[in-house]
Amino acid sequence: MKTVLRFMKPYKGLCFFTLLVTILDVAGGLLIPRLTADMVNMGVAGGDLGYMLEKGGQMILIAFLAGAGALAGSYLCADLSAKIGRDMRNAVYDKSLEFSGEDFQRFGTGSMITRTLNDINVIQQAVVWCIQMVIPVPVVCIMGTSMAFAVDSQMGLLLIGVTILIVVLALAVTRKASEIFDRLQRFLDRMNVVLRENITGVRVIRAFHKEKREEGRMGKTFEDYAESSIQANRLFAGLDVAAFTVINLCIVLILWLGGNRIGKGFMQIGDITALTEYAILILFYIIMAQMVIILLPRARVCIRRMEEVLKTEPEIQDAKDCVKGNWDNTREVLRFEDVDFRFSDAEENTLKNISFSCRRGETTAIIGSTGSGKSTIARLILRFHDVSRGRILLKGQDLRNLPQKELRQEISYVPQKAWLFSGTIGENLAHGKENAGKEEMLHALEIAQADFVKHLPQGLETRVAQGGTNFSGGQKQRLCIARALMKDRDLYIFDDSFSALDFKTDKALRDALKEETREAAVLIIAQRISTILHASQIVVLDEGEIAGIGTHEYLMENCDVYRDIARSQMKGGE
Amino acid sequence: MEENNQALFEEEFEMPSRPLETLKRMWNSVGEQHGRLLVVFVSVIFYTLLSIFAPVYSAGIIDLLWEKIQEAARGGQAFSVTWGSGGKEICTLLIIYGVTSLFYGLQNFLMASFAERLSLKLRTDISRKLDRLPLAYFDGHQPGEIMSRAVNDLDKNAEALQTGLLKLFSAVGLVVGSLIMMFRFHVGLTLIFLVFMAFSLLSTKAFSARTLELAARRQQCVSQVTRQVEEAYSGRNIIKAFTQEENSSRDMHRVNEELAQASKWADFVTNAINPTIRFINRLGQVGIAVFAGKLLLDGALTVGRFQAFFQYVYQAGEPLTEGAYMINSMQSALACVERVYQLLDEEEISPDPEKPEVVEKARGLVEFENVRFGYSPEKILMENISFRAKPGQKIAVVGSTGAGKTTLINLLMRFYEINGGRILLEGVDTRNLTRGNLRENFGMVLQDTWLFQGTIAENIAYGKPDAAREEIVAAAKAARVDFFVRTLPKGYDTVLQNEAENISVGQRQLLTIARVFLCDPPILILDEATSSVDTRTEMEIGKAMHSLMKNRTSFVIAHRLSTIVDADLILFMENGNIIEQGRHRELLEKGGAYAQLYNSQFA
Repeated sequence: MKTVLRFMKPYKGLCFFTLLVTILDVAGGLLIPRLTADMVNMGVAGGDLGYMLEKGGQMILIAFLAGAGALAGSYLCADLSAKIGRDMRNAVYDKSLEFSGEDFQRFGTGSMITRTLNDINVIQQAVVWCIQMVIPVPVVCIMGTSMAFAVDSQMGLLLIGVTILIVVLALAVTRKASEIFDRLQRFLDRMNVVLRENITGVRVIRAFHKEKREEGRMGKTFEDYAESSIQANRLFAGLDVAAFTVINLCIVLILWLGGNRIGKGFMQIGDITALTEYAILILFYIIMAQMVIILLPRARVCIRRMEEVLKTEPEIQDAKDCVKGNWDNTREVLRFEDVDFRFSDAEENTLKNISFSCRRGETTAIIGSTGSGKSTIARLILRFHDVSRGRILLKGQDLRNLPQKELRQEISYVPQKAWLFSGTIGENLAHGKENAGKEEMLHALEIAQADFVKHLPQGLETRVAQGGTNFSGGQKQRLCIARALMKDRDLYIFDDSFSALDFKTDKALRDALKEETREAAVLIIAQRISTILHASQIVVLDEGEIAGIGTHEYLMENCDVYRDIARSQMKGGE
Repeated sequence: MEENNQALFEEEFEMPSRPLETLKRMWNSVGEQHGRLLVVFVSVIFYTLLSIFAPVYSAGIIDLLWEKIQEAARGGQAFSVTWGSGGKEICTLLIIYGVTSLFYGLQNFLMASFAERLSLKLRTDISRKLDRLPLAYFDGHQPGEIMSRAVNDLDKNAEALQTGLLKLFSAVGLVVGSLIMMFRFHVGLTLIFLVFMAFSLLSTKAFSARTLELAARRQQCVSQVTRQVEEAYSGRNIIKAFTQEENSSRDMHRVNEELAQASKWADFVTNAINPTIRFINRLGQVGIAVFAGKLLLDGALTVGRFQAFFQYVYQAGEPLTEGAYMINSMQSALACVERVYQLLDEEEISPDPEKPEVVEKARGLVEFENVRFGYSPEKILMENISFRAKPGQKIAVVGSTGAGKTTLINLLMRFYEINGGRILLEGVDTRNLTRGNLRENFGMVLQDTWLFQGTIAENIAYGKPDAAREEIVAAAKAARVDFFVRTLPKGYDTVLQNEAENISVGQRQLLTIARVFLCDPPILILDEATSSVDTRTEMEIGKAMHSLMKNRTSFVIAHRLSTIVDADLILFMENGNIIEQGRHRELLEKGGAYAQLYNSQFA
C-alpha cells in the first residue's frame, strides 16, 4: 500500500483535483432530484410557470457542472492512472537492470515479465477503480443523508438506517466473496495447467494409454471450477435480491412515514421522490464499491509482487571506492585464484578451488559435462555473480574493485544462447561498438564466417526479429560472434558458441579468429572436443572441480574424465 | 439506476456465422435445464408485469395520500397514515414489492448455475474430444488455441449468459410496458423522453467508434512495451556484457511514455461515455420536469403520476441504453460457443475394431509391409517402406531432420493412419488390435520431455500407478536420476511446478526414461531420448539402456551415430523413405549415404 502511495505522491495535486471533481459529480446526482422535488412542491402549491422555468434553468446549470465535473474526473483519472503505471513500469524495469544474474533468477524471467506488465496493469486498474468508485462512497453517503436531514430529521434517520444496513450487507458479501474468488483463481490456474498438459502431452498420454485417467483429471478440475463459479454467482444473486428488497422496503417506509410527516407539515409531497432518489443513489454507489473491493485482494498480491522487486538490494553493486581500471599490461590477462562459488540457495559449491590463468596470444579451453560448472566460469568473469571464496583478477585488478561497466567493457563475450535484439543487423553489431563504420562491421562479419549478410538484399539493414528468430541457429551464433568481435579487446570469451555450426564452418571460424585475436587472450567453453583440440591449454571440469589442465595429448594420457569425454565423441563404440 | 459501462465499449464484437444453428445446438446442450428455463421464463413474465404495475399503483397511493392530506389541511387537522387512509394501500404495495422480490430472487438463483452448467457440459465434451482427435489436429493447432476454446471462450459465454439472458428476457417486456404506461400518462412527455433517448444512443455510437480507434492505438503501444520488456529480460546478460543498460532504460522510458499517452486518451474516452450519456439523460429529465411541472400547474397531471413517470423513465431507459451492448455481447458469446462446437465437430480417429485381436505380451516381431503414408493424402511422404524387426533386435533409425524418422515411430504406435500397406505386430495387422492393446506393448521415450504437475514419484509411476516406492527408486537409479532427485529438498515427493520449470531439460529427460524403465514394456522406442544430456551422461544411460534392451526389440532414433553402431539393423532414411538398410559394417563398406554421414560426424 505504502509503495502505491509513494508512486502517487508526485501527483498529489492531480489526486486532489480528481477528488474535487468527483464530488461535483456526486453533488449533481443528488441536487437534480432535489430540484425536481421543489418543482413538484411548487406545482401542487399552485406556483407559476416562471418558477418552473427558473428551477429548470438551475437544473441545467447543475447538469452542466456535474457533467463537466465528471468529464474532468474522467480525464484526470485517466491521466493519473497512465502516469502511475508508467512510473511503476519504469521503476521495475530500471531495477531489473541493476540485478545480478542470481537476483534475477530468483524471480525468473517469466515472473519478472508478469511483474512488470500484468501486475502493474492490475495495480493501475485498482487505483482507478478506487478513485472512481470507492472514494465517492463516503461523499455520497454523507451528502445524501444530510440532504435527507435537510428535508426532515426523521427521514434523515431513516436514510442513515438504510445506509448502514446496505453497508453491513455489502461487507458480509465482500468477505465471503473474496474467499470464493481466491479459490476460483486457483481452480482457473489448475484448469489451465491440466489442459495444457493434456494437449502438449498427447503423445505420451496415448502411448501410455492413459486417456481415461486424463479425462478424469480434467473432469475434476472442470467440476471444481464450475462449483466455485456457481457459488460466486449465487452469492451475487443473493446480494442483488437483498439490495432490491432493501430499496423497496425503503420506498414503502418513506411513503408511510413520509405521509405522516407531510400530514404534520414537516415536509412536502414532492420530497418523497427526492428521498427515494437519495436512497437509490447511495445504494448504487455502495454496491459498485463492493464489486471493486472484491477485486482488491488480487491487486494487493500484485502490489506485493512489485514491492518484492523494488525492495531487492542488488547483490552485486559497485564498491564505493572502486576506481577505473589501472591495468597491468602483462601477458597474463585473466587469473582465477582458488575460486569457490556457491549459489546462495544451494548446499553444494558449484565450483571448487578453481585456479588457472589466460595469457595473451593463447587459447584456453574449458570442457566438462552438463552441470560441471563451465558456464558459471564465464558468468563469474563478467561478474554476473560474485565468487564465494578466492578472487578473480583481470589484468591485475580484482573484479570486485572495478566498476561493473568498466569491467565488462574490457571483455568481448559471445553467449551460450545466441541472442540478438530486434532491429537491424547493423544495430546489433553496434552494441559492440557504438558509431562503428560499415567497413568495420563487414570485417567482423567476415571473420565470424557470417558472409551471408552480404548476400542478403538489404545487407546490414536487414531486420532482425525479436530473439533473432528469423535466422537459423548457426547464423545467429555467427552474428553474435561478429558482435563480440566489434569490441576489439584483450579478453574474448566464447561460451559454447560453436555448437550450432557444422564442422567445416567451425574450423574456418577458428582459423580466422586466430588471426584476429593474436594479441588477446581467448577463453573457449565447449562441448565438442574437436573445437578445442588445438587449444594451448584445456581445463577439464568435473562436478565443479578441475580434473586436469594441459594440452589434448597430455590430458589423453593423464586425465580419465577427459578420456571419457573424448571417447564418447570419437568414432564408434569400439 | 445509472449503469456503469466501464471498458465495455472497448472490445470489438464478433459475429457468429450461423447464429440460428448455434442457438439450436446450444438449446440442445442445455437439454437437462429446459425445465429450469421454463420456470425462469414464467417468473420473468410475472416479474415484468409486476414491475410495470408497481409504479402506477404507487402513483395512486401518493395521489390518495395527497388528497387526504389536503382534505385534513382544509379541516385544519394533522393527517396521519392509518389503515383506512392509505395504510391498506401502502401494505398492498409492500406485498406487490415482496412478490416482485420473490420472483426476482427465484429467477436470479435459478440462473446462477445455468451458464456454468452449460460450460461444464461443453468442457467435459471437449475433454472426451481430446482423446479422439487425431494427432494431426494437434500438429496443426497451437495448444493456446485449443485452450482458449475450453477456457476463455466458455468463460466469456458464461459471463454474457449469466448477466445477459435474464436482462434480455425482461428487457422487451419492461421497455414496451413502460412506454405504454408513459404514453397513457402523457404523449408529449413520452415524446420528449424518446427524443433524448435517441440522442444518447447516437452519442454512444459515436463514442464507440472513437474508442475502438484509441484502444487499437493503445494495444499497439502495449505490444511495444511488451516486446521491449520480454526482449530485455531474456537478453539481459547481453545488455550487461555490452554495457547497454542506459540505452535499454532509455528505450523503455520512451515506449512507456508513448503507452502512457495512448492509454490516457483511450481511458479518457472510455470513461467519458457514461458522464456524457448521463448528461444527455439529465437534460432530458429537465425537459420532462419542466413540462410535467407545467402540466402539474394546469392540473393535467397528478403528483403521483409525475413521480411514477420518472420511475418509468428509468425502467425503459436502462434497457434501451444497454440494449446495443447487450445484443453485441450476446452475439459475441454465440460466436464463442460456435468455436467450441467447431472443435467438437472436428474429425475423429476411427473407432477401435469391434472384435479386436489381442497381442498379450509381444515377443517383439514387428514388420512394415509396403507402407505408404502422407500427412495429407495429396502429399505422400513415404512411398514404400518395408522392413522386419525380429524379437530382441536393436533397430536404429538415422537420417537428417525431416527425413521421417519420428514419423516411422508414429506410424508404428498408430498415432497416424497409414495410406497403404500393413504394419504387423507378431504377425497381426495393428489395425485389428485396439489402440490400447497395441500401445501396451511399447515403451516410449520422446524427444519432448513431457511431465505433469505432480510429484516426481507420480511422474515416474505414470505408466504403472500402483508401483511401490522401491520400484520407482529402482527405475530412477537405472535412469541415473536417483542422485539428482535425492538432492531436492523433498526428494521423490518434490512437486514439479508449471511445466516442470524447476528442473533442467536433461533431468526431465532422465525422468521420462525412468518412467519407461518402470513400465518394463516388451518393445522399446527411444526417439532421440538422450538428445538433451551430455555425451558422458548419455554413455552412462546407454549402459543402463543396454541391459534394458537385452532380449527386447528396440527402436532407436539418434543423432549421435556413436550410440547406434552396435544396432542389428540400421535404417537410413531420406525424404520419407528408407534408402539404405543393414548393419554398421555393411553400410560403411557400401560407402553410401550412411558412410558419408558417419565420416562427416567424426572428421
